[in-house]
Amino acid sequence: MIRFDGAGKRHPDGTIAVEGLDLTVPAGRTTVLVGPSGCGKTTILRMVNRMVEPTSGRVLLDGTDVAQLEAAKLRRGIGYVIQQAGLFPHRKVLDNIATVPYLLGWDRKRARTRAMEMLELVGLAPETGKRYPYQLSGGQQQRVGVARALAADPPLLLMDEPFSAVDPVVRAGLQEELLRLQSELNKTVLFVTHDIEEAVRLGDQIVVLREHGRIGQVADPATLLNAPADEQVSAFLGRDRGLRGLALRPAAGIPLVPHAEPFEGWTLTVDEHGRPSGWQRAAASETVRQVAVFQPGVDTLRTALDSAVLSPARAAVAVDGDGRVLGLAPRAAVLDALDAAGPQAAALTDEAAWEAAEAAGEPAGIPADRVPDPGQEPGQDPGSAPDPDSDPAPDPAPSGSGAGHGR
Amino acid sequence: MNWFSWLSTFFTDPDRLHGPDSIVHRVGEHLILTGEALGLAIVLAVPLGLLLGYTGRAAALVTALTGAARALPTLGLVTLAVLLAGVGDTAVLVPLVALAAPVLLVAACEGVRGTDPDLRDAARGIGLTHPQVLWQVCVPWALPALLAGLRTAAVQVIATATVAAYVGLGGLGRYVVDGLATKDFPQTLGGALLVVLLAVATQLLFAALNRFALPAGLRRR
Repeated sequence: MIRFDGAGKRHPDGTIAVEGLDLTVPAGRTTVLVGPSGCGKTTILRMVNRMVEPTSGRVLLDGTDVAQLEAAKLRRGIGYVIQQAGLFPHRKVLDNIATVPYLLGWDRKRARTRAMEMLELVGLAPETGKRYPYQLSGGQQQRVGVARALAADPPLLLMDEPFSAVDPVVRAGLQEELLRLQSELNKTVLFVTHDIEEAVRLGDQIVVLREHGRIGQVADPATLLNAPADEQVSAFLGRDRGLRGLALRPAAGIPLVPHAEPFEGWTLTVDEHGRPSGWQRAAASETVRQVAVFQPGVDTLRTALDSAVLSPARAAVAVDGDGRVLGLAPRAAVLDALDAAGPQAAALTDEAAWEAAEAAGEPAGIPADRVPDPGQEPGQDPGSAPDPDSDPAPDPAPSGSGAGHGR
Repeated sequence: MNWFSWLSTFFTDPDRLHGPDSIVHRVGEHLILTGEALGLAIVLAVPLGLLLGYTGRAAALVTALTGAARALPTLGLVTLAVLLAGVGDTAVLVPLVALAAPVLLVAACEGVRGTDPDLRDAARGIGLTHPQVLWQVCVPWALPALLAGLRTAAVQVIATATVAAYVGLGGLGRYVVDGLATKDFPQTLGGALLVVLLAVATQLLFAALNRFALPAGLRRR
């Protein structure tokens, strides 16, 4: 757990980067600092590993003032990932990953074995280890950066806009990967980004910052999107925060109608595997080839709504884990599902919603990375998060086919 | 008499093949003198340059001073050194070191200073101490620049080491100086050609070093 206790940074020229900050970063969770550039979020992050020394207040790491720890030693116990990866160009990937174990005095064999494990953990092929950083793509370099940060198994990860320099598709992949890693490792993660979308996606707790590191709001993603503290936070979240909030809720319990019959004059055609192949209009010989689908209980309401919006028949297409059509969800039914747990009912937690999905007997289970954490209640004071040790580990294999859900 | 017959006269002279005035012996003397000068310059300039480059202090001063140092007339320095230290190795080494050291100082300083700031930041952030960052990150980063500086210095010293002959020492300068003194132009021309060949060979050696001695990650940047 990290506690900022009136921590502030004033530059020698008198400009203020961060005014006294009071914030608790709970252990075992991902806390995202988000705000416009120049709001001091990176300075806040760098106070933790003493890359920036606060000029007022303290930063406590598990109760110890970091200023009392030797900087290099402190940093070897904290994973650090930056935007440009910062890999050593003259060392092969494996040795890059093993940097901190080497610094800690591990013998070469043990460090390299560990580095190999890390390589696999972040989804890179073993032979990648023999290459030089310049031979990797930006996304691969970032993965190596994450592997290097994890190599000595630090309890805390500091990530400073780690995915900002890669293209959106690669970024989405890296975000998925981080969610997956975090569901396995339960590190304390402090993550800095200027991208609210990324914050909502990754954060258990989101800290919206204003200039000089002043806190606009501290909340879990659903609460933040549904109930911004004020105009400024609301403006920062953007105009479609309602829609984006749907991405936090499961598409579950939507009544389906059979797809064998035409719907509003359109027939859904399927291939020999039962997967949707297109929409066909009965009257004219009009066809729509691309079919947007959603998987009940796995995908979110946002995906379901998207499917309904894109469908010429005004019905979302529900599929199972193998892509086989389960039935159609008319737009009206999808919209009704929004009300089932409307924004004002933010009290209906992720957990309850996902459980409802399960209880409804949906064919698909809950993906591991979406298993709600019982400790995370919207509106809960982030400072009073339960000790991760006493936290029951999320069930790794929820009922249904969730375990086989690969992304 | 044309240049080719001069050269064949020079290279077929039995004195060129055996004895103290043989080509092998003179080249050996030349290389030893060059090596001594370079070695001294490296010891004096490289550690200082690395340190100044790492701290970022006095970098402008380094550039200015070395610029001025390059303008020093070598022959004047030799004369001065002879006056102060008498005829001997020192009198020749002083100007040669003065020639090579600034080049190496700037190469080391700028090479280290050019280290990617994100890389330095990451290295510090994952727990390297300052000496570790300098040695494990900045020095490797500076290697190509250092090698380039060393090549420039080596070629300059090889060309200039001919002045050793002016104060009675050996090396390829002997042919040039002795040839001029006795109006033995084949000897002067042959000596000059040998100096050029040696300089070119040095260039090639460093090109090979650059190609094969640097870690792959540093060559492609």
